[in-house]
Amino acid sequence: MLWIKNGIVIDPKNGIEGEKMDIFVKEGKIVEESEVKKEECKVIDASNKLVVAGGVEMHSHIAGSKINTGRSMRPEEMRVVRNVAGKFRAVVGRVLLTAPGIGYEYAKMGYTTAVEAASPPIGSPHTHEELDAIPILDKAALPVFGNWHFVFKFVSEKDQEKLQAFIAWAIERTKGYGVKIVNPGGVEKWMYGSNVRTLDDEVPIYGVTPREIITEVVKANEALNLPHCVHIHCNNLGVPGNYETTIETMKLVSGMKNENRPVLHVTHVQFNAYAGSSWRDVSSGAEEIAKYVNKADNITIDMGQPIFGHATAMTGDAPFQFTLHKLIGARWSNKDTEIEGGAGIVPIVYLPKNPVHALQWAIGLELGLLIDSDKVVISTDWPNGGPFTEYPYIMAMLMSKRMREKELERVSPYVQKASSLPAIDTEKTLYEVIKMSRSLPAKILGMENKGHLGVGADADIAIYNINPNEVDPSAEYDLVNKAFRKPAYTIKDGEIVVKDGELVAETWGRTFWVDATKKVSMEAIEADLDEYFQNYYTVERINFGVDERWVKKPARLEVS
Amino acid sequence: MLILKPKKDFEVSVEAEITPDLAEKSEEEIKNFEVWYGKYKVKLGELFEIKKEGDEKKLILDGDFSRVKWIGRGMTEGEIVVKGNVGAHCGAFMSGGKIVVEGNADDWLGAEMSGGEIVVKGNARNLVGCAYYGDLEGMKGGKILIEGNAGNYIGEKMVGGEIEIKGNAGDFIGTEMKNGTIIVHGDCGFVGGDMKGGTIKIGGKFDLLPSFKKAEDGWIGDVNVGGEGKIVKI
Ligand SMILES: [Zn+2]
Repeated sequence: MLWIKNGIVIDPKNGIEGEKMDIFVKEGKIVEESEVKKEECKVIDASNKLVVAGGVEMHSHIAGSKINTGRSMRPEEMRVVRNVAGKFRAVVGRVLLTAPGIGYEYAKMGYTTAVEAASPPIGSPHTHEELDAIPILDKAALPVFGNWHFVFKFVSEKDQEKLQAFIAWAIERTKGYGVKIVNPGGVEKWMYGSNVRTLDDEVPIYGVTPREIITEVVKANEALNLPHCVHIHCNNLGVPGNYETTIETMKLVSGMKNENRPVLHVTHVQFNAYAGSSWRDVSSGAEEIAKYVNKADNITIDMGQPIFGHATAMTGDAPFQFTLHKLIGARWSNKDTEIEGGAGIVPIVYLPKNPVHALQWAIGLELGLLIDSDKVVISTDWPNGGPFTEYPYIMAMLMSKRMREKELERVSPYVQKASSLPAIDTEKTLYEVIKMSRSLPAKILGMENKGHLGVGADADIAIYNINPNEVDPSAEYDLVNKAFRKPAYTIKDGEIVVKDGELVAETWGRTFWVDATKKVSMEAIEADLDEYFQNYYTVERINFGVDERWVKKPARLEVS
Repeated sequence: MLILKPKKDFEVSVEAEITPDLAEKSEEEIKNFEVWYGKYKVKLGELFEIKKEGDEKKLILDGDFSRVKWIGRGMTEGEIVVKGNVGAHCGAFMSGGKIVVEGNADDWLGAEMSGGEIVVKGNARNLVGCAYYGDLEGMKGGKILIEGNAGNYIGEKMVGGEIEIKGNAGDFIGTEMKNGTIIVHGDCGFVGGDMKGGTIKIGGKFDLLPSFKKAEDGWIGDVNVGGEGKIVKI
């Protein structure tokens, strides 16, 4: 039992904005004062400290074949030793980390939940092996659907019943959490040497278009009423002029509504927010996107903020990765995941003086600043945009115009004409950045017990050495930036795992997965499953996927 | 000056990041300097006889150092003389000073060095002056002279400095090199793959890639990467 005393609480979900309060924890949950015996509580003095829910990472590449291939092809990343084995496990990695390091580093920043944003279904056993090697955090994985032949087939047949049954089957088999779509149709088309360029380009053989895939999959996701909305990496990622495709994609769900969460989450939008016609005249499309998102009542995004320095681009968007490799000449690895899609990996360095990199950096911040704080989540799309360990930098930048002005001095002047960042006066409040890193991602993921400090919530808590009623983040940005890097405490399921910025305990979190199989009739797709597994997969159907007993601490969420 | 002599034949590799700076320390500090013996952390004094003569920044390594790695790693000044053979990574990342190896050198000699001088009286093995795997730049400055032969991969991703080999060398000389000079007086194999700049001078026979065009005094390439590197016969 814990008694967190006299902290200054910010808890956006429950409307608490810098109130001095006590918080009580029992059996890993936040409880009423009357539930605990105070004399048996361990007391944490949180006077003059900020108390918030543990951070929720909704889009990061923490486990699976992509990150592992990235590790193997970047020995220079693996030469940085972060932790020598002793009380905690060995960790290496500069920006790409080994599995234990992912858990340690998130916890050391006050984050307690993280979602793997793109898991190739056939690779799901590998994804779960790696999730199981990540300590402390609660985890989940999103299997990718946007180029899966079953999806093409059922969309082309306009058979919602089969599509819903298939999604429920696939999420259960992969022990996944929700539906991810990456460049729908484009990865398949790339297997024929090209890519889709508009929402109406057809996928070879099946004849379906990105427009149809997205619309039908969102419909199925809503009919199943999955906790998380469809999570999309749009077509034309990394192509100048792509902001229009992004808005077109958002328009596909207009009129659809879900009471509890958005119906579409558009991810790492920075990479999909370029105006212009080439890299020579590229500029920001962030303002247009922000306008649309702010007006819509069913869409959220995350930033995909680049951080200057080393990064590794790794996405299920194989054709984009090839384009990037050709553009910058860096190493390239390609993955083909049978009839499910593909992926690619390319190392990259974001340089402040490079006009394109500086513009990407500016666009990420524009999105974070111009979009309402209940619609935009903080992310770097780790490791695509750079280290997640720089979230404190992003939070401080969003809260301080002065810090941005200082940073603008060191980046390419190209951003002055190609983006609106220098003219933006907005300064997000502490309350808003806490929302953007806690309650909002939890809401989008449909994780009711995450991202807040109300009674019944998981006791995932971060305590930082700043008093929100005294600090002025606009002026004291250095202080804020430092405080978020070094929590006084990180508490996971009621256990203190980090103290004064240092790890003190290694715990094991759960892996959430969603079971919607009771909502559908599996019979509808039996014959199709058998046929495709027999004809096209390298594995037998019976060997496909992950059994719950193989997962270290599974937490099944049944959808009824 | 500091003289080190191995106390025994080493069963496993020793990783000893020793530089001439060590010669300035007290005998006590030198004896307690930590090195790795296989997977064990041990004290320098356990593996070597130590004799200190004055404070001159000079190391004499007397005996067989062929299983001792990382000698002179990152050294900035002073001198190291190896009386016998030396292990891998000798002079890696060095930026100044001089290393003389009287015997042979193992792989990764002078890898990513940026200044100073290395002289090997015998032969050197592979990866001389190269970039470590994944890194973008190899040797950046300084000079490596090998009086005997060298192995494969010489000066990969080199961006400055000079490597001179009096004897023969193996394959992949100056792969992806951007600047600097490699001189092979004897014969060697494939040369200059994906080179963007710099000069490779060869005295003997070598294998020319088809992606080099003939120029007045040699060949220019690698055209596959729009390179303007030079291969010259001497
Ligand atoms: Zn991503």
